[in-house]
Amino acid sequence: MPFINEILNYSSLSIVGLEKNTGKTECLKYVLKRMPVDSRRIAVTSIGIDGETVDQVTRTQKPEIVLQQGMFFATSEAHYKLRRLVSELVDVSDENTSLGRVVTAKALTTGKILLSGPPSATGLIRWMNQMQRIGIDLTIIDGALSRLSSASPAVSQSMILATGAAYSANMNTLVQKTAFIVQLINLPLADEKKRNLFGPLDQGSWWLDADGTLNPLSSATSLSKHIHFQGMERCSTIYVAGALVDGFIEKVRANKDLRQVEIVVKDFTRIFVSPQLFRLFLKAGGRVTVLQKSKLIAVTVNPVSPTGFVLDSDILCQKLSEAIELPVYDLLKN
Amino acid sequence: MQLKNVIDSPCGLRFILQKLELQSGFARRCLLDMEMLTDADAIQESYGVLCHFARFLADTDHVRISTLLFKLQGVKDIRTTIKNLEQKATLDDIELFEVKHLAILAVDVKKLLRQHGLDQVVEVPDLDEVITILDPDGLKIASFYIYDSYCEQLKDLRIQMRQHPEQNDQLLLEANELELGVRADLSKQLHHFAPAIRQALLALAHIDISLAKAAQMHHMGLCFPVISTDGTSRYEGLFHPQVKDALESNGRSFQPVDISYGLKPTLITGANMGGKTVVLKTLTLCQYLFQFGFGIPAAMVTIDVKSHIFFCIGDEQSVEKGLSSFAAEMKNIDAVIKASRNERKLLALIDEPARTTNPTEGAALVAALLKVLADADMSLILTTHYDIEPGDARCLRVKGFVDGVMDYSLVEVHDGEVPHEALNIAQALDIDSQWINLAREIINKNERIL
Repeated sequence: MPFINEILNYSSLSIVGLEKNTGKTECLKYVLKRMPVDSRRIAVTSIGIDGETVDQVTRTQKPEIVLQQGMFFATSEAHYKLRRLVSELVDVSDENTSLGRVVTAKALTTGKILLSGPPSATGLIRWMNQMQRIGIDLTIIDGALSRLSSASPAVSQSMILATGAAYSANMNTLVQKTAFIVQLINLPLADEKKRNLFGPLDQGSWWLDADGTLNPLSSATSLSKHIHFQGMERCSTIYVAGALVDGFIEKVRANKDLRQVEIVVKDFTRIFVSPQLFRLFLKAGGRVTVLQKSKLIAVTVNPVSPTGFVLDSDILCQKLSEAIELPVYDLLKN
Repeated sequence: MQLKNVIDSPCGLRFILQKLELQSGFARRCLLDMEMLTDADAIQESYGVLCHFARFLADTDHVRISTLLFKLQGVKDIRTTIKNLEQKATLDDIELFEVKHLAILAVDVKKLLRQHGLDQVVEVPDLDEVITILDPDGLKIASFYIYDSYCEQLKDLRIQMRQHPEQNDQLLLEANELELGVRADLSKQLHHFAPAIRQALLALAHIDISLAKAAQMHHMGLCFPVISTDGTSRYEGLFHPQVKDALESNGRSFQPVDISYGLKPTLITGANMGGKTVVLKTLTLCQYLFQFGFGIPAAMVTIDVKSHIFFCIGDEQSVEKGLSSFAAEMKNIDAVIKASRNERKLLALIDEPARTTNPTEGAALVAALLKVLADADMSLILTTHYDIEPGDARCLRVKGFVDGVMDYSLVEVHDGEVPHEALNIAQALDIDSQWINLAREIINKNERIL
């Protein structure tokens, strides 16, 4: 498979499913099985509890994945105790999840484990840095594109997106919706000066005037209805630390002076704007850039929906590939 | 009295703790759980340790200090695991890992301390044998699993598992049984070391805390105190770190003050904005810092050890308890009076008692308070705006406005007469002139009538 080699060019990869049953876990299994463990040190984890994967009652509902001997993995204490392989513990973190602390271990035999992981973005970044320190070449994150998750998959250098009939059973809708997410993932990075300027700002909305002076926006949150853009004739850039929503874009569009404005957000997961409005904004000359972005390596599809509906895999792959100009794979079929 | 009970005292203790750069969360918990020291020898001893670490920080190169700090960052709270060990439970892999991790840290830290002659200052028990038990192959790395060398049979099973992965499920079941036996055996061996492991954990936290306190002394310009033997506390160049910080960030500076007090009541009077409350806050803060073994924000100090510290700042309304500010204050002072009848070596600092009521009754309450507490074994410091008969009390007054500039230093005076500067200060604050002038007229009229 061509994209396996491309993955190895990056030091981190997240695998993101657009919906349950879009084949994210299949994709993860597929990638893990093909990783060259003899030449690369690989570590794998999952983004905490994302609301879809862990059954809080039985605590074991999550699918097991197979690790090759020599791979490192991070999971919760509760899941670690259920492992079905021999492994060597290398770290127990201070960070608590509802399933206990996050532990990191090395698989000494091939076998199955249940994956869970750091519950927060900072915890995930800390873990990734820690893995780098102990000489790991590639960290793989089982990511969830869920609003419940505070950890964004955009912290990884590269990304694979899993989509499928579960996301939409109508092929055209599925292609359009997926293409929009791909468009967001591929948004350009803000220039370095702006990344350094906005990076430390965790809250609020800000704007830059033509001289590069940073000013806070009138309202504290970008969600507010009362936000207004008076006295911003010389505004070149707006930075939104939180979520970018329809209402905000509409207010920006309503202001003549802001037609050509550049809106900067943390990463693509912060954008909650409808595709139509987003395109109108860009068409009128506006720009949206991000502080953090991942290289989208490939898109995988699962043409089978959990309700039993099946899309034609070949046509789906072809249509989607045309729309996003990226390779699209149906892993089960291949 | 634990540190966590007084951390939110209005004297500003939390600020000091926030600025304390501890390496582990466990050390912070230990510090917050620390009992206030009320024994002069214990305080002396804690400053002795602190002194060694202060010298270590001053004399040692940056790399070595960072190495030690980095080790201390790895300390985790494994008291639950130790408790399990003490109760002869069989530890699981994660718990065994924790014990091994701590043992390796303790041995490393001990080695570093020995290089600087500090191993006698804080004693870290020897855990080499613990490492030997948990590191049968002598790999000296802080990772853990049930090693092959614990059990020949297990080793064979694992070889089979690698050769025949398809039979893993059956083989794992057998291996799990064997591992369980090894864990039970390891836990039994480790049981004897439980007290030493616990002591090592606490010693590592102690080192962390001492290093952080020593570093803070350097950063904030704090000093080592002398323990008073005559019941008198003497401060030279006293300052409040939080207020100083706030002033300095506004481009202003803090004027340090000198003050001393003994077992006779001390009455502080002075103009509004003369820093009376700040003096009380700072004295309270210093007393706590002293009895929890921190550096003291002053140039030179001698402090008397107290058994109880009361700080009544007055303006705390207790909404939850449904008390007005006056009632809350009365209750607080009542607690001081009650304690003064049963306890010894008290320190009470009371800011403008009875300030929220009318001057006639207020002044009477303050004068009576001085009398009621006159014979108690306590140091009492009061601030007030009321004109009262000081009796035996020593009177200090804030110098106040001198040539239009506030001089915050305290001078000893021999009467309790209070300065009448409120109107001048209000004027300096640019308060509505019609109001202030009218007040001045009213005062003049009253004085004429008298």
